[in-house]
This record gives sequence, C-alpha cells and structure tokens, in this order.
Amino acid sequence: MFALEAQHVRKTYGGVTALADAGLRVRPGSVHALLGENGAGKSTLVKIITGAVRPDAGVLRLEGTDVAFSDTADAARHGVAVVSQELSLFPDLDVLSNMFPMREPTRGPFVNRTRMAELARPILDQLGLRVSLRDKVGELSLAQRQLLEVGKALVTDPRVLILDEPTSALDSKTAAVLLDILRVLRDRNVAVVFVSHILEEVMALCDEVTVLRDGRTVLDAAPLAGLTIPKIVESMLGERHAQLAEVRPEATVDLTGAIAAPSGSGVLRVEGVSVEDRLTDVSVTAAPGEVVGLAGVAGAGHQTVLELAAGLRQPTAGAVLLPDGEPAPKGLRAAIARGVALVTGDRRRLGLMLDKPIWDNAGQVRSVALARDGLLVRKRTLRARAGEHASRVNLRTFSLEKSAGLLSGGNQQKVVLMKWLQTHPSVLLLDDPTRGVDIGAKAEMHGLVRSVAEAGAVVLMCSTDLDELATLCDRVYVLHHGRVCAELSGETLRQHEILAAMNTGTVPAA
Amino acid sequence: MTSSTTDAPSKDVDPAPGSTTTSGGGPLAVLKRAFGMEAASVLVATVALILVIGAIHPDFLDPRQLRDVLQQSVYVAVLAAGVAFLLAMREIDLSVGAMFGLTLICSAMLMRDGWNPWIAVLAGIVLGALLGLANAVIVQVFKIPAIVATLATLSMFRGLSLALSNGQQVVGLPLDHAFFEIFGGRVLGIPVSVIVLVVLAVVLTFVLRTTPFGYRVRSIGSNPDAAAFSGISVAKVRIQALMLMGGLAGLAGMLGLAYFGSGDPNIGSGFELLAIAAAVIGGTALRGGSATVVGAMLGAILLSVVTSGLVYFDIPVNWSSFATGAVILIAVGIDSLLRRRREARASAAGL
Repeated sequence: MFALEAQHVRKTYGGVTALADAGLRVRPGSVHALLGENGAGKSTLVKIITGAVRPDAGVLRLEGTDVAFSDTADAARHGVAVVSQELSLFPDLDVLSNMFPMREPTRGPFVNRTRMAELARPILDQLGLRVSLRDKVGELSLAQRQLLEVGKALVTDPRVLILDEPTSALDSKTAAVLLDILRVLRDRNVAVVFVSHILEEVMALCDEVTVLRDGRTVLDAAPLAGLTIPKIVESMLGERHAQLAEVRPEATVDLTGAIAAPSGSGVLRVEGVSVEDRLTDVSVTAAPGEVVGLAGVAGAGHQTVLELAAGLRQPTAGAVLLPDGEPAPKGLRAAIARGVALVTGDRRRLGLMLDKPIWDNAGQVRSVALARDGLLVRKRTLRARAGEHASRVNLRTFSLEKSAGLLSGGNQQKVVLMKWLQTHPSVLLLDDPTRGVDIGAKAEMHGLVRSVAEAGAVVLMCSTDLDELATLCDRVYVLHHGRVCAELSGETLRQHEILAAMNTGTVPAA
Repeated sequence: MTSSTTDAPSKDVDPAPGSTTTSGGGPLAVLKRAFGMEAASVLVATVALILVIGAIHPDFLDPRQLRDVLQQSVYVAVLAAGVAFLLAMREIDLSVGAMFGLTLICSAMLMRDGWNPWIAVLAGIVLGALLGLANAVIVQVFKIPAIVATLATLSMFRGLSLALSNGQQVVGLPLDHAFFEIFGGRVLGIPVSVIVLVVLAVVLTFVLRTTPFGYRVRSIGSNPDAAAFSGISVAKVRIQALMLMGGLAGLAGMLGLAYFGSGDPNIGSGFELLAIAAAVIGGTALRGGSATVVGAMLGAILLSVVTSGLVYFDIPVNWSSFATGAVILIAVGIDSLLRRRREARASAAGL
C-alpha cells in the first residue's frame, strides 16, 4: 500500500494547463524524488497534495483512503506536512516556541512548556540538533534552522512529509546533514517527497523517482537503481525539438539609437575572477551583438557574475572590465552611470513602483536617478518618452496612466525594460527576465532582448529556464561549484547539455 | 489567460487621487492641480467648518478673526510641508517642533547680542538645516530609524533651547528693525508670513513635482528596493530631505520670531504632532509614495480653525483638548471614508 497516491490529477488555471495527467505514488519509509523542469507542474502538484489548491479532477489517497482536503490545515490534520523553500520560522522566538506554532499544548489558558519540551526533545535529539530549547532561533545557523523546520514538521507526526527544494537555502556542506534527516524519516516510516532541481542530490538521497513533464507524469515511481543522470535529464526534457520552433523569439524590433555606441572595445570581460566562497577563476566574455547566457543550479555562482558586472560585488582576484575598457565600478549607481542596465525577474519587489503610472516608472532611472534631463523633470517629457518606448517594446495598454501593478506580468516586464532602455545602456544584464510570464509574452521578451543585442549592446543573462537559455543565447557558460565547467554554443547548446553540465560539471559526450 | 484580458481597453477615467490626467501645463491647469485635485477634500472640510462655526457665531467670520486664524497656522503649516516630504519617503521627523524652538531662540539671542537681524535670521535658517543634517547623520551612522533618532534629538534640541536661554524669555530685541516691521507686519491687510507661506507652497510643490529630488522622494516611498535598484541613493535623498525639513523649521522659527518679537524657550512644544496630523489630514499617506504640500498646509489651517473656533463655544477649558481631538478625528474619518469610496469607484471603472 502507498502512503500517498495521486492519480490522474488535472489542474488548469484560466486556460493554461498546469497539470494534464499527473500521478505520484509514494511508499512509506521511502524517499521519493519529484522532478521536472520549470513549469512542469511540480509546485502545482505539491500544492494539491498539501491542500493549498484544489484539483479539477483526479484522485488523492492517503493509505488507501480517498481524501479531499479543504485547505492546508485540513491536510496537516490528515498527516501531510511540508517543509517549504522559504524558511518559515520566527527568529525572535526560542526553539521550543517555534516548534509549536498555533498548536501549543496548553494547561488552562497557559502554554504548557513542560509538555512541549517533552514532545520536542526526542525529535530534536533524533535529528541531531544540539541546541537548547531556549535558544533564540535567530541565533541558529542556517543548517540548524533547516533541521528545526524538519523537527517542527515531525512534531505533528506526519505520514507524508514534503521537502520542497530544501537545499536551496543551504551551502554544500548540508548533504551529510540531509542524509541524516532522511535516515531518521525512513526509520519513522514517513513517506518523504523530495522536490529538487539538483540531480546530484537526488542520486545521493532518494529511493524512487517520479518525473513530470508538461503536466504529465512521464516517469512513474522508477527505482533509482536503474537510473542515471542522463536518463533522468532525458525524461525531464523529452522530445522537445518539435516544440522549440514555437517559442522562437518573435520578430525583432529596431532599437537602433536606444543603445549607446560603445567607447573602447565594446566587449565585457570577466578575467580570471575569484570571489570568496562563490567563484574560482571564472572568465567570461560577451561582445556587442551577442546574447550570452549563464547557467547553474542555485548557488553555483552564475548570478555572482551578474553582480560583478553590476558593481554589486567586488572580485577578490582577477578583473571585471566593462565595454569602455575600464574596471567595473564599486556600487550599482556608478555602474548604471557607466551604461549598465539590470533587469530583474523579481519585478514586483525590485523592478517597479506598483502604485505609480507607467510613465513614472519608465522615467525612474534616466530622469530621476541619473537626472539626465537636468534640474527639471517634466511630466510631459516623461509621458512622451514613455509613449515612444511603449510602442517600441509593443506594450499593450491603452493608457500610460495605468498603475504598473495592474499590468500583466509580461507587460510589467516590458515596463522594466523600457525604463532601462531610456538610459541608452551599453550592457544589459538580465536575471531570469521572464519569470512567471506567459508563453506569448516570453517569446516577445526574447525578441526584445535579441533586438537590444542587435542594436549593439552586450547582453548577459541568467535564467532558470533552460529552454530560454538554449533558444535565445548565442553562447552559454555553465557554472558548477563556482567554476565555469562548460561553454556551450552552436550544436552543443541544447537544454540537454546545459542541464547535464549544471548538475554534473561535465558535458556529456555526444 | 492572455494579457489582453487583463489589459482590456479602459476608458480614460480619472485615476486615483494624487496622479492626474490633465495634460495641459498652463497656469490654470497648475492651479487646478494644486487646489482642485490633491487637496480638494481638506479645502472643502476647512471651508465647511468655518461656515458652520460662522453660522452659529457670526463673529468668527470677521476678516480680522480669520486673518488671525491664518496667522496662527503658518508655523505648523511650514513644518507640515516638510513632514509631507518625509512621509512621502516613509520617514518621519519628531524633532520639528524642537528645531523650530531652538532656531527661534538662537536667532533671538544673536539679535539681543547685537547681531544684525538679517544675518541672525540667515543664521537661524542655516542652523535649522544643520540640525536636520545632525538628524540625518545620526540615522546614517547608528543605522536607526529616523523616528527613534529624532525622538532623542527632540529632547536634546528642546533641552538646548532651555539651557541656552536659562529657561528665560529672550527679550530686548530691536523690534523697530526692518525685519520685524516687514515679516511681523501686513501688506494690504494680509500678514506677510501668510504671503511667505503661499510662496513656499508654490516653491515646494514645484520641488516635489518637477525636480529629480521630488521624484526620488516619492520613488523611495513607493518602493525603496526598486528605487535603490534603479540607482537612487536612498541615503543621500534621506539626508537632503531631513536637511530640507530642518531648513523649513528654521524658516518657521524666523517667521515666529518676527511675529512674537521675543523668544520663549518652550515655543513650538507639541508642534511635531500637529505637523504630522496636518500632513495626514491634508492627504499625504503614511505608507509613502505620494505627498501634497498644499494639502499639508491646508491641514494646518484646518487645525487652527478648530482650535480658534472652539473658543467661541462654551466648552470648559479642561475639555478643549478633548474637543480638538474629536474634531480632528471626525475630519480625518470623513475624509478617509470619502477617499475610499472614490478609490473603489476608480477601480470599478477598470483602473
């Protein structure tokens, strides 16, 4: 019998199919990897299992009994617990209080700390977490907090425990810690679902593997024994070649004049750069007209390269040279003044003023931060310039007065691009620029990025979307543990190779 | 789900208050923007309150009475204008009343000691800006919120006023000097300090709406992370805004000195809360991102109307504070409810 069984689960969001026919079968006392590319449906399936989202169709069984959760609390009562990506602890409370959020044992109106300690201590001992129950959580290390998260889940005595990308917040030393946790969980006969991007971890930790692709289960509870990383990669990506044509960038637009003519060589050079704990002897070059990608699993160092070019981080060894031939400055502001533009995928937090109209957002860098229009900022000028750029990037809105927060994700990202294009950048840095935008907007965004490159800018892009890297970039550097492990271009630049190199540090022989 | 559904064509309806669709830049449009949009409700409230009080006690509508109401509101109005800038960038300064008092005392003492009043006045305004700089440096160096830093400097600045003046009134100023004649006097029946206030309203509105500094202030208040990510130095703008606040407190102190003709070390106590209340009544949101200078000044005038008007009613003296608070609450409450309804209507219209 399976501890958890999901069959033929379907879920659509307003016409977009997140899950077409997904299934998951997890045995008690086993560690089960749930894998899939970005957008394959992993997180939707997890949300359904934990009661956060209701499926349109499908069956969910716990130990053979059909269940339908009304919400996450209901799922928790049935013994389904989650340790989520974002740590959800209260740093100002002590360890013991954190283990019983909202469900403290009480004696009359008072919290029964004695009873809490009796319940918590054995679990913490089992996890090997040697801290005092009175220690403030804010004083614990990240690894200890991760353990505490697991401990907090175990207090509820779950039958199914979902670890949702548990290592994303951690350094490389935690593999051993994780192994210990999983051993404890196996001993307790818990069914563990391990959601991860990092295939090396999966190979080291899991017993069985389920792979989702385009909302369908394509590898169903396969025992790890018969699997290799290349095989898993194969099933994650499948025969995508036919589809690749569809997401080819839309027609490019003419952005000549939007890009500054580079003085000096025009080439962005990262030469033999090391950054403590992050990068070792990394060299990357990007010439005008090129779209250069940076790939890696979380923490591999690819984003550090962007930070170096943006002046957000200084190298401990080596040199970072902007297209004008001079070293990258200290600080983002100085880098922006030198022609660097930084488009982030986290547009709601870092990209936009959501309560302000489009034209106000569009002028934020050029007219406001850099004061390139002089001592006066004229609304009329901002509106006119925003209107001009809006038609260039094909922003679909009927009024520039609309608040940025009311736009769709794709349009929001276009506004972010607009505000940087106004500065006439010579370097465009993109960090996961199409996160959470629909496929049509993604293709348009790709067309725009390509246009920026064709207009003569250096384009350097990080992305978690392998398809994006493979189709949009001319070259992709893959980083693995802070080193460049592969430089892919032409024939070898395919999702398959990128994913394999990200996870193993070597490019598979063709 | 395509983007076309979320971005369905929307009629060009007036957006939320604070932003405008007026495309013309003529003087009429500016006037309309200044008074028509951003401060309409507080203006209506103020006029209504004056008329209500006047209906019951016609004496209140006497031009001299109204002139006095205006005259008394000037100091808090100037401070409120500065507070509006700070609120717009999610900062606050609690030391404004103490800065007002300290600059007033210092200038008064300099004049008493024989300084040319014009130079003493200039020194007072510069001192105000330096006090603001001190606030900013404390915030920057100790990495504490401005509300905490200025809570401390509130006491320190007030304490300096008392210590420097030995707790005594500063008297013996050259009251026949041109400074007192001009800024303590009237032109065409209008107090000169009120004229200064109007000029200041125009200048500060201009600064807020058309300079990079004004845009930066509102950018930071709207989304500090995005502002920093766009290359705006939050620290630098904060220093500038706190110095502007100090300079305005100094200016208010000088206007007060011109009118009162002496220096009281306790003058301006409690002005910080009145100034914050005035800015909020005027329509500057505490969440940041927007501000209205005119609204903040009108808010101060509304507060002044309330305190002066209450005198006309037979309210026992010990109840006057309570009554003031109650009137403020009613005014702000009605304004907030109206604003909500307007915003709900705007979002229903597709914006």
